[in-house]
Amino acid sequence: MPGPHTINKYIPPLNFSPVISTEVSLYRSGYPMAINYSFIVDQLHLKTVVYIGDKADLLPEYASFLEREQITFVHIPMDSCRDEGINERIDEVLRMIVNVDNYPMLLHSNKGKHRVGIVVGIVRKILQGWSIASIYQEYGLFSGGMKDETDLEFITMFVSHLETYKDKLPKFVRM
Amino acid sequence: MSKSDQKINPALPEVLENMIVANDQSENHVSVGHVPTNSDNEDECDLNEDDDDEEDHIYINEEMESGREKILISHAPQERIVPPLNFCPVERYLYRSGQPSPVNFPFLLNLNLKTIIWLANEEPQDTLLEFCDTYNISLQFAAINPDGGEDDNPWDGLTEHSIINALQTIVDRKNYPLLVCCGMGRHRTGTVIGCLRRIMGWNLASVSEEYRRFTGSRGGRILVELLIEAFDTNIVKIDKKQAPAWLVTALNE
Repeated sequence: MPGPHTINKYIPPLNFSPVISTEVSLYRSGYPMAINYSFIVDQLHLKTVVYIGDKADLLPEYASFLEREQITFVHIPMDSCRDEGINERIDEVLRMIVNVDNYPMLLHSNKGKHRVGIVVGIVRKILQGWSIASIYQEYGLFSGGMKDETDLEFITMFVSHLETYKDKLPKFVRM
Repeated sequence: MSKSDQKINPALPEVLENMIVANDQSENHVSVGHVPTNSDNEDECDLNEDDDDEEDHIYINEEMESGREKILISHAPQERIVPPLNFCPVERYLYRSGQPSPVNFPFLLNLNLKTIIWLANEEPQDTLLEFCDTYNISLQFAAINPDGGEDDNPWDGLTEHSIINALQTIVDRKNYPLLVCCGMGRHRTGTVIGCLRRIMGWNLASVSEEYRRFTGSRGGRILVELLIEAFDTNIVKIDKKQAPAWLVTALNE
């Protein structure tokens, strides 16, 4: 007898994973495709999507999906950690992350490996205080074992200049 | 990066005490790593200064209307925490990892765990047992082969019985926050989480993608993936009134 949950209908985006799963939900992934929309709608209930990547124009189907679901979309242009003005743009992403009003939030790049990996690494370091070795390990999980030394150096050396409101800080931020 | 910036103090009792103090403070006291105050000319890496100085790290913008406090975030917090190997959130208040060792205990305290599921025949290290005892964390053994005693092999898969045992704990929200772990956080943990994903209605390719992410350089085991694929999700009894909200959502849609 087929039970209520025998149909495997949900396809999470490439490299999908929760990053923070406490009173707020922060997710990471690659670029969401049409096959992922039902998963995003039914299981994530997103308020905000932050895209860190180089594609200036949204896929039309993605744009209408975001509009239909009334998800706030923020594009932070980024090619790599060698970009000019990269620190300011990382701070813009962090500004979204340190405000409880923006959750649940999905952070995605194209493949969910390097650019998202950099931002998550910085969240782990600056906001949560993870040891550098564990940040490298997590970066490796999602990059398929590829350790991009430049990315890891960047995470290690990154210093933020972010001013924010204390009353909007999510609880996972350790000080 | 200075050495002090990466400082991790492995001396357990002190670390734990510090962590508790830090946690208590965090309720009403958010300080920041480094703020441009008058003392900004000091060595940039003065992260070892005494806690007494922490007050200086709160930057209050007095021009703010309604007295909302502004803070500046710059460096990492002084006390670094170390997650267990292969640590990752799975769902809200549900986590996975390899076996935690004392260096990870301050990290675990941040999770406020109520339950740890340990997927192995042998007992975990004494330090972990003591840690669970001290902090009132229920440690649940899900022996991979109850008849095998201590003779099990690290490569033995989980039996269906032990998978179901672990899942029955996972589908009950009174056990949360919850950590599922095994020696390396790879195959046994991956099996249980994979079966959970199937209950949640994930397609098989995505379940495998997640499983393989944590299996290290030697990759996934076909036997584990077969086990996940063949798992009869209907065997797990789910009381929706007792289940975590994210699971109820996944089942209802």
